[in-house]
Amino acid sequence: MIRVEGVTKRYPNGHHGLVKVSLTVHRGEFVFLVGPSGAGKSTLIRMLYGEDRPSEGEVMIDQFRLRRMTMRQLPRLRRQLGIVFQDVKLLPTRTVFQNVAFAMEVVGASRKEITKRVPQVLELVGLARRRDHYPSQLSGGEQQRVGIARALVNQPTYVLADEPTGNLDPETASEIMKLFQEINRRGATVLMATHARDLVNQMKKRVIAIEGGQVVRDEVRGAYGYES
Amino acid sequence: MSLNSVGYWFREAGRSLWRNSWMAVASVSTVTISLFVLAVFVVVSANVNHVTTLLQNQVEMRVFVKPHTTHTAELALLKQVEAWPDVRKVDFFTKAQAAKNLRQEFPHEQDLFRVIAKSNPLFDGYDVYASNPNDIPALARRFDHSPIVNNVVYQGTVVRRLTRLGTILRWTGWIVEGLLAVATLLIIVNTIRLAVFARRREIQVMRLVGATDWFIRWPFILEGLTIGLLGAVVADAAVSAGYHWVVARATVSLPFWPMAGFNSVFSQTSVFTIAGGLIMGALASVIALRRFLKV
Repeated sequence: MIRVEGVTKRYPNGHHGLVKVSLTVHRGEFVFLVGPSGAGKSTLIRMLYGEDRPSEGEVMIDQFRLRRMTMRQLPRLRRQLGIVFQDVKLLPTRTVFQNVAFAMEVVGASRKEITKRVPQVLELVGLARRRDHYPSQLSGGEQQRVGIARALVNQPTYVLADEPTGNLDPETASEIMKLFQEINRRGATVLMATHARDLVNQMKKRVIAIEGGQVVRDEVRGAYGYES
Repeated sequence: MSLNSVGYWFREAGRSLWRNSWMAVASVSTVTISLFVLAVFVVVSANVNHVTTLLQNQVEMRVFVKPHTTHTAELALLKQVEAWPDVRKVDFFTKAQAAKNLRQEFPHEQDLFRVIAKSNPLFDGYDVYASNPNDIPALARRFDHSPIVNNVVYQGTVVRRLTRLGTILRWTGWIVEGLLAVATLLIIVNTIRLAVFARRREIQVMRLVGATDWFIRWPFILEGLTIGLLGAVVADAAVSAGYHWVVARATVSLPFWPMAGFNSVFSQTSVFTIAGGLIMGALASVIALRRFLKV
């Protein structure tokens, strides 16, 4: 369970990233985080994986309390999380397989586990035949699938995605969204910040809207709700 | 930490050294130069210490009797000295015995002994051992008052000067070495920084998927250690070859000068250089990594 309790984030320049934000996400949920640019969606996601710390309030993910978490404890939290970015962050000198395997190597997995698990995940994201390609040889949608495979390979409880379809055309974005739905169906909790209005409206999932650093709306089967 | 991780660290350290091979060569060279200087200081002070110990173990004081003194006078002085409380032991020798001892000490200098055999230029005298080395100057003065004594030689001054030389060498060594170590450190730090910079994307991904800080650090520390160790091995090779050559030359042209043994010196220098190389390498990596780990 993710619990955000009265979280305020002040930056040194006096700007407020978040103001008294509270929300709860239960295991197995699929939640969209919507709102205009600069509303605080990314700040909230970054706070969930410990890249930003709250100035006030507390963030709890299962047994982890993030406000006072030390740098030493952070890796243990992150092994429970799969993080997907708009800019994917693939390693250009490694193949698709190596990019995904890298995430397992650096948490100490054995060769045997890696050769067993990575093809499974590539199969899930539909890239089994692209395993020996380099990122530069892939389309934007395919690159994002590699990013998702890397996030999933260590079997995270929570998948956090920050605008994963931001750079993709609507058709590709829709496929990526279906992939997240599949991931959620298989048991992972998904929390996604997005601008993809049509997709949000189609999927009828829980929608949390943030504006000016505050939660303005939280609907169980919601819509994007902004005209743009 | 699993064995998988250890394998990963070594692969990554090797890959990084290979990719930045020019920077690695530059770092290894500076480590070599710095450790070479360290090793030379160790060799020189080992030799000074060697000579100092040799002299300390030799006769403490030698008193030479004036030529043409009667044997009775010599024995009278011997009796008298034996009674002095600050003398532990005293041995009388004739110039014939002195010549014989010399011949045993330097069996290869036959020319010299042919000259001595014709007309022995040596003196009769006494080997004197003091109960307390600090009394030696006073003892020497007392011998000087005796009418039959020609001169007194004691190694107190020599030993004291050598000890002081040893101390000066050690301090100069540490200062020079300290400066060199700082320069070397800076170069290794830069090499590791470059390696960190070249791999910043990997590091970012590693952190995001939950690699521990130590997992991220190890390849860079291994890289620093490898640079230090390679530098030490090259410096050792150079110094041992050099000292080997010097020792070989010295036995031919400086037979009177007791060189410290090759093996005993080399065991000292290799400990210093290898420890020095590893410490510098590890320290440089830690300094280079400090900043990015605060992210």
